Amino acid sequence: MKVVPRSPLLWVCAVSAAAVLLHAAQVFAWITIAGLVLVGWRLAAAFGMARLPGGPVRIVLGLSLVAAVFAQFHTLNGLAPGTAMLMLMVTIKLLETRTRRDQYIVIGGALFLLLAACLDRQALAWVPLYGTDALLCCSALAVVAYTGDEALPAPAGLGTREVIGLAGRTLLYATPLAILLFLFFPRLPGHFWAFTPGDDAVTGLGDTLTPGGITRLTTSYAIAFRVRFDGRPPPPDERYWRGPVMHEFDGVTWSAGRYSPGEIQRLNCLSAPYRYRVYLEPTFHAWWLALDTVMASPAPNVRYTDDYQLIATQPVSQSQTYSARSCAHPQSLAPLSPAARLADTQLPPDRNPRTHALALQLRHRAGSDVGFVRAVLTFLRTNGFSYSLTPPPLGPEPIDELLFDTRTGFCGHYASAFVDVMRAGGVPARVVTGYLGGQLNPYDGTFVVRQSDAHAWAEVWLDGSGWTRVDPTAVVAPERIYHGILDLLPNAVSASARIVHAWPWLSATLQRWDALNGWWNARVVGFDHRAQLNLLGDLGFHSPELRDAAYAFGMTLLVWLAWISWQLGREAASRPRPDRLGRAYARLCRKLSRIGLPRPPHQGPLAYAQSITRHRPDLAPQVGPLLESYADLRFGPTSAPTPDGDLRKFERSVARLSIRRSQPGDSRTAQVHSRGID
Amino acid sequence: MKRPAKLAERVRERAAEWARRRQGPDRLPLTLARRRLYILPTRAGVAFGALLLTMLAAGLNYANSLALLLTFLLGGFALVAMHECHRNLLGLSLLEAAAAPLFAGTTGTLRLTLGSASRLTRRRIQVAVANEAAVALDLVAGGRAQVALPIRAPRRGLQRIDRLQVSSSHPFGLFRAWTWIHAPITVIVYPRPSGSLPLPADTGARSGTHPRSTAGADEWLGLRPFRDGDSPRQVAWKAYAREAPLLVKEYSSAGSPLRQLCLDAARQPDIESRLEQLARWIVAAEAGGDLYSLELPGQRITAHRGSDHRHKCLSALALYGS
Repeated sequence: MKVVPRSPLLWVCAVSAAAVLLHAAQVFAWITIAGLVLVGWRLAAAFGMARLPGGPVRIVLGLSLVAAVFAQFHTLNGLAPGTAMLMLMVTIKLLETRTRRDQYIVIGGALFLLLAACLDRQALAWVPLYGTDALLCCSALAVVAYTGDEALPAPAGLGTREVIGLAGRTLLYATPLAILLFLFFPRLPGHFWAFTPGDDAVTGLGDTLTPGGITRLTTSYAIAFRVRFDGRPPPPDERYWRGPVMHEFDGVTWSAGRYSPGEIQRLNCLSAPYRYRVYLEPTFHAWWLALDTVMASPAPNVRYTDDYQLIATQPVSQSQTYSARSCAHPQSLAPLSPAARLADTQLPPDRNPRTHALALQLRHRAGSDVGFVRAVLTFLRTNGFSYSLTPPPLGPEPIDELLFDTRTGFCGHYASAFVDVMRAGGVPARVVTGYLGGQLNPYDGTFVVRQSDAHAWAEVWLDGSGWTRVDPTAVVAPERIYHGILDLLPNAVSASARIVHAWPWLSATLQRWDALNGWWNARVVGFDHRAQLNLLGDLGFHSPELRDAAYAFGMTLLVWLAWISWQLGREAASRPRPDRLGRAYARLCRKLSRIGLPRPPHQGPLAYAQSITRHRPDLAPQVGPLLESYADLRFGPTSAPTPDGDLRKFERSVARLSIRRSQPGDSRTAQVHSRGID
Repeated sequence: MKRPAKLAERVRERAAEWARRRQGPDRLPLTLARRRLYILPTRAGVAFGALLLTMLAAGLNYANSLALLLTFLLGGFALVAMHECHRNLLGLSLLEAAAAPLFAGTTGTLRLTLGSASRLTRRRIQVAVANEAAVALDLVAGGRAQVALPIRAPRRGLQRIDRLQVSSSHPFGLFRAWTWIHAPITVIVYPRPSGSLPLPADTGARSGTHPRSTAGADEWLGLRPFRDGDSPRQVAWKAYAREAPLLVKEYSSAGSPLRQLCLDAARQPDIESRLEQLARWIVAAEAGGDLYSLELPGQRITAHRGSDHRHKCLSALALYGS
């Protein structure tokens, strides 16, 4: 395909369309459509089917689109509105693309949109798409550069395939440098300027818990986080991952409450703590998940609260990686403060009266707090309670209705009912939300915790041992602890998740993909300042500092530059490879030169044959016809019936030719034999 | 806007002069070596660099690994593009340069033959005479190609083309590599044919009684090599069939008038005008099929005709006084 003057424009249109489509799933549909319409307009104009708008029209168009973006987002600051603006600006610029400079500007805008996509989404699945877009942009750059200014006539002949090959090879050569720079370019520990994160929560956890209001708990199979244990992993019934803790109850809804943080109570760990590393997916919430009960904050910007939550100063907008240590059997050393006791026994006085009566009755009969806990669990076990993700709705007295009427619910129901009963009986208690479970991915040894593993349980204060985890759901549906939601309630999740679950090979494939994703998120997306310092430390730069990274970076840059220079220079210096006939002829000449009859560069094949006959008449019958047939093949008429067959015959004869240097004893005697004849 | 342009022009001239001193004179054929190749980013390349810096700042600020990876990939891309641009010229050979003589005030062509002995297909090589407009060409692997560059000749004499520029911004237009070539390429510039005096009268050295036949049909003068512009009818095709080079038969018509041209005959106020008048006479005499001789102070060209003779005479005028 020859490059026509329209060709760079088509490429630039393709680049802008790709840049718009890259964001199609993330921005409002009208922005994508507007961008594509503008691209289509430019294309139509290029083919003479439409007219390009004049300057005033473009200005009005531009301003109105800016106004529309502002109306949509109420701001122009931030990644999403900025991306929308850039999409529209690039496509409007396309409308006035006439010179090479305009085309470069559009390609630059498209590259910036690619960067915006990288800032927005870092999942492994996007990476091939990003790579393709980069290739497209670079190819367009080559086409625009090749077609050139109007002043120079375009020499025809740079085909599409060659353009893509050129850009692809250049990017391929650039890849080692990109990886080296990625590893060694000095990273910064913080931000220059703050950024506005998105506000789309994608987690099963929330600030509040209203069990009665939910009639259908939709669960997502998406991954919440991955964990790699250092040493032995906890058994399934200890895989509780602590998230938001709820203290305040208004009779219907649990919330974190205005719980005044007291002093953090030191924990005495009764068993060996678990050490692990968490790879947290973006949640857009501030909680960092950790195994119950975490013993310290994993990072300086994360607060370790007195109810053992980890709360970051900023929402988790990107994958986070952190190491933590947790104790499965902690014991509080200090007594519960009066303020905390007050907060965690608070109940709305006039709600759920039947429950309160039951609580007082059970507490009275039990004699101790521990006995009371047992009695309530026995009550839950023996009164026909069942587990369901689609419970009937509950009215204004939700706990009463759950315990005495519907007797159907999920973890949130039972946890809140249990805590309500405890508090009514005077025992400090709170609702803890988080995740329960974690499936081992055999391909990378991590435990995968999904949104469908979201769970809620209770904690009660028992004098002597402190806060103690009680999971009432485990009493109602013990399987829930040992199996995921899928085994328990197959209908709870989407059809696709069920299909995956039913076919082992499919789930094995997905596990591999998950493992790859986990690696990507942990090692590539999660590669930060600290990971870089660790890497430098591993490489032998002791007391790693930014300066060491800079040295390492300079060294790798030099090595790569030398490699590229050598690699490209070698191609430029290499002679063109001779054709098959030329190679066979060169082989023949090599054989003759080895026995002391080199061909002088000025000699043609026939003159060479004559000189060989002169020096070694014994070789003439062997070598002469070969040289003649070479001359025929090379210089003779090309209309030979089977030139390919002749060529092959010549190659074979050259390969079979076996000649020897003349012996001193029997000079000028035949020492020639051909294996073909023997 | 005018002053920066002038400044850029001055900088370019200074750089070219520096390169001339550094490289020394060249001799054709020559192959471009690393030492004489220069490379700088183009305006698009500078803009690309600014884009990369912005991307780097964004990536570092957000501590976003993927954005940084993209930035580094594009940075590497630019560096590889620089090497590719450089090697697009590296090893390129300038084999021949030839220019046909031309008259002052007209535009002629300089034919350059470029060759590439490597496996590389060299794309969009731009060749230009000094500061004239460039002509672009592609060179396939192991191939050679000819370009015709326009040259202008303001004055008669031996014009030197003291500087050729070979450049390329292939493949991505981010960098431009170039070299200056200072090969001794000369072109003879004939005086501009002008003046209104009629041709000097036939001196009648030969008998003019012979009836004039069609030009160039009478007396065998001999064979001479073919030159551009010769009529195919004059080619010695029989000789060519015997694998001789392409030759042209030359005849002299015995009855042609003989014009004796000399500086004094061209009565013009100054020497340049006289030379121009002589040039016009030579052109006219040659076109008319006449025999003509030229006499200049210190040299004499005997009567003859044909394009060789015309060239000899016009060259004498071109070089007169130098």
